[in-house]
This record gives sequence, C-alpha cells and structure tokens, in this order.
Amino acid sequence: MIGRFRLPRSPIEHSVEARAFVFSAFAIAVLAIVLYGQDYVVPAIGVAAAGAGHVVSYRERTRRRDFWRQAFLAALIFGALFYVIADSTLALFGGVLPQANFAILLVAITSFDLKTRRNCYSSLWISLAILYLAAVYAWDYTFGLIVAFWAACLAAFWMASHLRRLNAAMSGPVRAIAVVALVALIAGAGWFAAVPQPSGIPISPLVISLPNFTSFHGDIESPALPLVQLSGDSTGASSSVDLHFRGRLGDAPVMYVRTGAPAYWRGLVFDTYRNGAWTAANHVYRQTEPYVPPRLLPPAPKGNRGTFVQTFRVLRPMPAVINAAYPIESLYAPVAGLREDAYGTFHTPDQLRPGQTYSVVSYIPDLSPQSLRGDETESVFADTSGAYQDFSTLSIAARQLAARVAAGTTNEFDAVMAVTSYLQHTYTYTLALPPVPAGRDPVDWFLLDVKTGYCEQFATAEALMLRSLGIPARLATGYATGDYDPVLNQAVVRERDAHAWVEVWFGSHGWVPVDPTPGVSPLAATQFPSHWAAGGIARLIPHLSVGAPAAALGSLGALGVVPLAIGIALVIVVAYAWLRRRRWTPSAKPQPGESELLRLYERLQRRMDRRRAPPETPLEYQRAMQYPLLADVTQAVNEGVYAGRWPDAHRVRDMAKRIS
Amino acid sequence: MGRNRADRPLDWGLVAASQEPSLQPRRAAELLERVEKNIHRVIVGKDRVVRLALAGLVAGGHVLLQDLPGTGKTMLARALATSVGGTFRRIQCTPDLLPSDITGSSVFNQKDLTFEFIPGPIFANIVLADEVNRATPRTQSALLEAMGEQQVTVEGTTRPLERPFFVVATQNPTEFHGTYPLPESQLDRFVLAAEMGPPTDAEALEVLARREHGDPLADLASVVDIADVIELQDACLRVVAAPAIRTYLVALLQAVRARPDVLLPASMRSGVYLQRAAQAWALFEGRDFVLPDDVKLLAVPVLAHRLGMRGRGRVAEMLNEVVTTLPIPPLRQH
Repeated sequence: MIGRFRLPRSPIEHSVEARAFVFSAFAIAVLAIVLYGQDYVVPAIGVAAAGAGHVVSYRERTRRRDFWRQAFLAALIFGALFYVIADSTLALFGGVLPQANFAILLVAITSFDLKTRRNCYSSLWISLAILYLAAVYAWDYTFGLIVAFWAACLAAFWMASHLRRLNAAMSGPVRAIAVVALVALIAGAGWFAAVPQPSGIPISPLVISLPNFTSFHGDIESPALPLVQLSGDSTGASSSVDLHFRGRLGDAPVMYVRTGAPAYWRGLVFDTYRNGAWTAANHVYRQTEPYVPPRLLPPAPKGNRGTFVQTFRVLRPMPAVINAAYPIESLYAPVAGLREDAYGTFHTPDQLRPGQTYSVVSYIPDLSPQSLRGDETESVFADTSGAYQDFSTLSIAARQLAARVAAGTTNEFDAVMAVTSYLQHTYTYTLALPPVPAGRDPVDWFLLDVKTGYCEQFATAEALMLRSLGIPARLATGYATGDYDPVLNQAVVRERDAHAWVEVWFGSHGWVPVDPTPGVSPLAATQFPSHWAAGGIARLIPHLSVGAPAAALGSLGALGVVPLAIGIALVIVVAYAWLRRRRWTPSAKPQPGESELLRLYERLQRRMDRRRAPPETPLEYQRAMQYPLLADVTQAVNEGVYAGRWPDAHRVRDMAKRIS
Repeated sequence: MGRNRADRPLDWGLVAASQEPSLQPRRAAELLERVEKNIHRVIVGKDRVVRLALAGLVAGGHVLLQDLPGTGKTMLARALATSVGGTFRRIQCTPDLLPSDITGSSVFNQKDLTFEFIPGPIFANIVLADEVNRATPRTQSALLEAMGEQQVTVEGTTRPLERPFFVVATQNPTEFHGTYPLPESQLDRFVLAAEMGPPTDAEALEVLARREHGDPLADLASVVDIADVIELQDACLRVVAAPAIRTYLVALLQAVRARPDVLLPASMRSGVYLQRAAQAWALFEGRDFVLPDDVKLLAVPVLAHRLGMRGRGRVAEMLNEVVTTLPIPPLRQH
C-alpha cells in the first residue's frame, strides 16, 4: 500500500549554475563551522569531496542510478555515523562539533548523487542545518554576513534552476530595477526615520544566535568573574567589585548549562561596601570533598517545589568559582577538592579550564509573594559582624529617598518590592556610563545625579537602601540564564550575561535574590519561569517570537534601512507582477535525448584535435576527421537536427559507451 | 505576435503519418540508382551532371544544360527520356521557329470540314529544347510559359500538359552569332543549370569504345515507368526540410545578396527551387530529410545561372566562397 504513494518525480537538474550555488551554500556553511567551531579536518575533507561529488553527479545526471554505487554510498553514510559516534566519545579531531561533522560528511557523500532538483534541495537543507550548528557558537557580526550569503545562494539556486527549466534567458530591465531599488531605498529610509527606534537595547553588532528575549542581557563593570586574565588571584576569583570601573564584555560563550529550569547562576557574594567597592568580610572556608552530599549542606527550604539538575560545561578559562543556582542540594565537580566560603559559594582549587564540567542539584524554593509577605526579618537573623547593616556610605538624601519610597509598607516584602520597582521605573539602564566624578560615591552619584547605570549600580543602590531601612541585603554576582539553544537543548551563557543582583534576608526563607535592574521581573531571579519547564515546541516559542525584529533592527542601527528597503521592493515587484499578471512563456520543450546526444557530440569533438567549424556540416566534419566512431553519432545528429528523430537517452548512452 | 513558418517546429507526427503508404526513401533511392545506371550505359562518367538532370526531373522542374556542342547534352536528355519510359520530343530551336511550331496548331481537316488540333512537340513527357538561345524571344516565351504553367494555350484553348513534364534545354554559351540570350527572368524558371564539362581521357576512350559497333542508345530500354517518376516526384515533396534548413537557406540567400559583386540578387524563387532541389537530392541518398550538405552542393547549380555579376566576376567562385564561409545554423535548437 505504501508503494503506491510515491513522490512525484523530481526534474533532473541540468543547470550548472544552480549546482554551483548548492555547492557554494554548503561551502559557506562549512566555512562558518570552521570559523566558529575551530574544526578543520573534516570540513576540509568534506568540501573537497563535495566538489568532486558535484562534478560526478552533474556528468552522470541523466544516467540511471547504479545499484552498487547507491549501496556503497549508503554504506559510506553508515560509516560517517560510526565516525560521529567515535568522534563524540573519543574526540578524534577535537570533538567540538561531531554533529556538524556528520552533517558535512552527509552532504559530501550525497553530493555524488545529486541528479534531481529535489536532491539539490536536500543538500541545501542539510547545509542550513550545518549553518544552524555554527550559529550556536557564533557571537559576532560576521556570522550575519555568512547567513546573508547563504540565503543569497539559496535564492540564486532557485532562480537558476527555474530559469534553466523554463529555458529562459536572464535579462532584466535594468532601468526598472534601478528605479524600484531607488524608490525602495528612499521609502525604507523614510520609514526608518519615521518609526521610533527601540531604546534601551544596546546598539551592538547583530548577533544571530536565536536570543532569548525574556532573559536579561546585561553587563557588569567588574572584571571580577568572567575574565581570568584581569584578576590578580591565582584562582582567577577576584575579591572585590569596584563600581568605579567597568570592563567590556563580549558575546563569546563562556559556558553551556544543561538545566532543568532557567535560573541565575550565582557566583561570588559580597557583603561589605566601602569606598565604592564591594568586598567580602567573612573569610571562613570549609573544605569539602569534590562530591558534596545533601547532608553536608543546609536543609531543604520549606515548601520547596523539588529539585533540578544543572550540568555546566566550561568553554573558556574561568575563575575558580562554581556558578550554580541556589540553594544547592548537592554538587559534584571533578576536582581534587572544594572549598565552601561563608556565603555558600563553592570554590575549586584552580581556575576552571575549557571542557571542564560540573553538576549541581538545586532546590526550587517557594519564593512566591504570598509566602514572602508573611515573613519577618529580625526574628531569626543574627549578624555578628554588622556588615549587613552597614549603610554608612549612603548620603542623608539617599536614606531619605529610601524611607520615602518604602513609606506605607507594612512588611519586609512590600518594602523590598517598593524599592525595587522604584529603581526599575525611575532609573534607566545604560552601559555607556560616564566615569564617576572624583570624590563622589558611585551609589549617591547614581541615585541622585545621573540616574542611569547598569546592574551593579542598581544592585548596590538597592542593597544600601534596604540596609538603611533595616533589611539585611548583600550583592550577588554571577551570570544570567543565557540563551536557550533548542538544538543543543542547553543554555549558552556568554560574557555579556554576567550580572549582579541583590540578596535580601527573609527570616524563614534565608537569602532571597531580588533583581532591581530594569527590564526584568523584580523576582526574576527567584521565580523559575515555567516556559522552560514546558517541553516540545513550546521551548522554541521565545525564538520565534515576533519581538525579534525590533531588537534586531535596534542592533542593526542605520543598516536597519536595508531589510525595510528589501521588503518594500518585494512588495512593489509583487504588486507589479500581480497587476500585469505576466506569465513566463516557455520555449518549445527539447526533444527526448536531444541534449544528451548533442552533448555527446560536443564531447567527441573535444576529444578530436579540431572542433567542427561553424560553416562545416556534421557530415563534412566527419569526412574530414576520418574517425570511424564519429559516423554513428554524426548520423544520429543529422537525423535529430534535420529530421527531428532524436534517439532516446538509452541509445545515446549505448553510443557513449561504445565510444569510451 | 506573428510567427512565421520557419520558427514553428515541424509537426513530426504528421510527417511520419503521411509517409506510411507512399514510396519509402530507400525504394526511391533504389529506383533512382537504377535509372542512373541505365543512363550510364550511354553516358560515360559525368555522374554529377546525370544526377543533377535526374534531380531536376524528380524536383518537378526543368534543367538547363550549358556547354559546347558535342559534349553529350542531347545524349543525356535522350538517355534520360528512354530510361524513364516516357514520350520524348526534341525541338531544335532556330531563329525562324514559331511558337506554333512548339505548341502545335489547328489544321483544317477537309474530309470532316473541321479544325483539328495537331499537338506540337511540347506535348511529351520529356522535351529537349536544343540550343534554346537560338529561338526568337517570342518562341522562347511560348516555351517558357509551358514550362512555368504546365499548360499550353493555343488559339484560345488551354490544354494541360501531361505529368511528368520535363524540359531539358541546352544552350551554347560561346556562340553569339544569331542568338537571343535568355532574359534573366526566364533563366530563373529553370530549377538548375549544369555544365557537361569536357570528358577525361579515360572517358573519351570509353566513349569511342562504346561507339565502335553502333549507337548504344538504340539498345537502351526503360527501367522505370512514368508512374514511378510521378511517385518519385510526390516522394520528393514529402522530404522534410527542417526549420534549421530553412534558416540556412534564408541565411544563404541573404549572404549572396549581401555580396557587393552581385548585380542581380537571388530571387525568392531561387530559394524555393534550392529547397526543392535539395529535397530531390536527399532521395538519391535514401533520406527523407534534407541535410545542409545537399544545400551546399546544389547552391552552384541552382543559383549560378540566375545571378548577374558585376564586372567579370565568376558566379560559381563567389557562390563557393559564400557556401564555405557561411555558418550553418546551430545544432542545438532548444
């Protein structure tokens, strides 16, 4: 029954140009893998083999598929599969992108069998998958260009293939195209100028890595966490966060997190703010084994909603700090031993190396507003050092501001939320902050003068304001969730995901993370959004969201005119085509076997020492050449051209066989 | 959007269907070969001229043989007529030849007291008009009307001529005394013109040997009958001239016209005749389609006698030059 539902035959792809575009698209995708995956051996082999395969499949496109060759190609595909399994376990060539290598080999092998247009399309779609894999690793502007080139190859293949089938020569009305392009460009520029551009989103190079727009894209000043080379400590962990300075953070991935739920990955915590810099006052450490079982850790928070596992894979040298969601239930890091500091953060003996992994099991605490509202602070909290109550650097005006903001709140949670939402709504987020004037405290300057800042200003201001209200608070640093990649099924955490937020003490909940940075939910760090918990297509939805163009346009800057212009040009062309409803007039179909025979004739001529001169008839040429095998072909050509009796492809094939 | 016939692809199916009941090209070639062989029993060598003359017959046209006296023009015409078994008449043209001497005239029959039409020599299948340039223009035009229309009008009565009607005219190009050279418009009516050319030594010896004991023409018998000739003429019409061939013909005529040394350009009729002659030529090789080779080969016999050259240019040389330099249409049509 299945046999009856066969796909219709796909037309044989005769166009050399179309095949060249298929190959180019593949080469572009492989180039992306080479650039972003630092993978060289298999891509080089793959491109070379695919080139040869394209030549072979073009020359044999009219032949019938040979069973044994098909079987051999199928065997090769299985071989590639085995290679990938071996590569991903043994890391033969670095093993960075075994799945990309598999796709590359797949294209290379199947390129020996690209007879029809359908085959060419499947080759294109696999190279699109390769491009997608590269996108996972891509972080810069160049990748956008690669994608544009790939799309151009796809469109060019489509056009070349169709034009060839219609036997239509490509000749464009140059003037009309120029006019349409100009009009579209002007209209696009006008539109771009008229439409208010998204503000608050940093203008940065276009990053095509399927961003997760629901998560925070921030930046922190201090080089404390991500960049080892900037810190003095041998383990890479800095002991302070200075609000006077700010490092620039790029888009390079820092680590992959395979996680059951999105969370903030907490690293170092600071409790003492003095002279514009945060430090940790408590230097007590506890040595533990590399595996920390639940019994050695604080008891499970009451009313928690279960646990989830995170596996971190480090991509570049990182400070010797275990970033993880808190509170931790248990963890394991493949190192000699761990140290837990007084703030619950675990440290490794040495900095983390690329490729290193560790796993953490964390609780999902119940941090709903209802449960937090009924919580009291002073009842349980015992602060021996007094660091959590220190807000001495805060000016009187700032303290009054805090008191004014929190006025009328009856419980701790409401006070925290009042301050947080005040900061979020009154202050704007910027990464382009001028240097702090000499002699000014960065927090005062932020709160009372510039009123713009980034996460550290917000977090520090909130912490100090809460302290002035008598609520213990401290600074937590680490990474935001990162971008969820549905292919890898894990979050890609980049340098720019580095983040700082506040931890506030609630009597029975312990330290509760609160994020005062604009653009995120105040309790973003505490709530585990349910959208990741959803499976299937729902996980992809953030990436398909219509919010993308605005952000993309924002990051394109003035180049945002281009997509608009393209869209307008498309509309003009489609409208014109619809109005005129012009149709292609295909020329007469070639007779069966015609092109094959004439191609064979061409080949024969190439083999001779002289080609047929234009005034020479085939018969004259044959007599001049005195080549016995030419007689058959000449007669067939004469019959075809001058009597319209073309031989069928089988006979041509026989003739070709006899000649070769 | 006017598309002319040359652009339109042939309906090959129709062509194939119409071929079914009629003379197959292979059989046509066989018949023609038989005739040729028979003629060669009389005419030694001269394969090309023999074939050209026969092609003229098959093409349904008329042939002009030009050469010196005694080169075998008449011999060829008679051998041809005998071989195909039709009636043969000879008209010896002289300046005092009248039109009625060709067409025939009514004679008063005194027994019946009626006018009786006595058909002239034109009423035959094959007519040899010897030394046609010696006849007066008036007589020439009567002959040429018959050639063009396949009918004769005598005293108000139009009488059709029997098929096949084939005129072989000869003219002596070197003698000018007492001749009335054919005007170009009348030369245009001959489908092709051929020159016998001098015999080679071996041919001359062979001619003498054959004549030793009498005239071989007397022993000649017909090898095909007139019905076969008609069938051959029909087969000739069914030979396919592909669009590429038509394109080539047009290009060839254009190229000839474009030559600066041509005074009188090639007429459209010459193109039609060239195509028809090429169709006939294809039959000799058992083909049912025309090759550009046929056109090339026939360009000089079909075109040369119609073209007027400026100065003392040689028509045949010019035509050969055109044919060897003109590119044939591209083989790939799609």
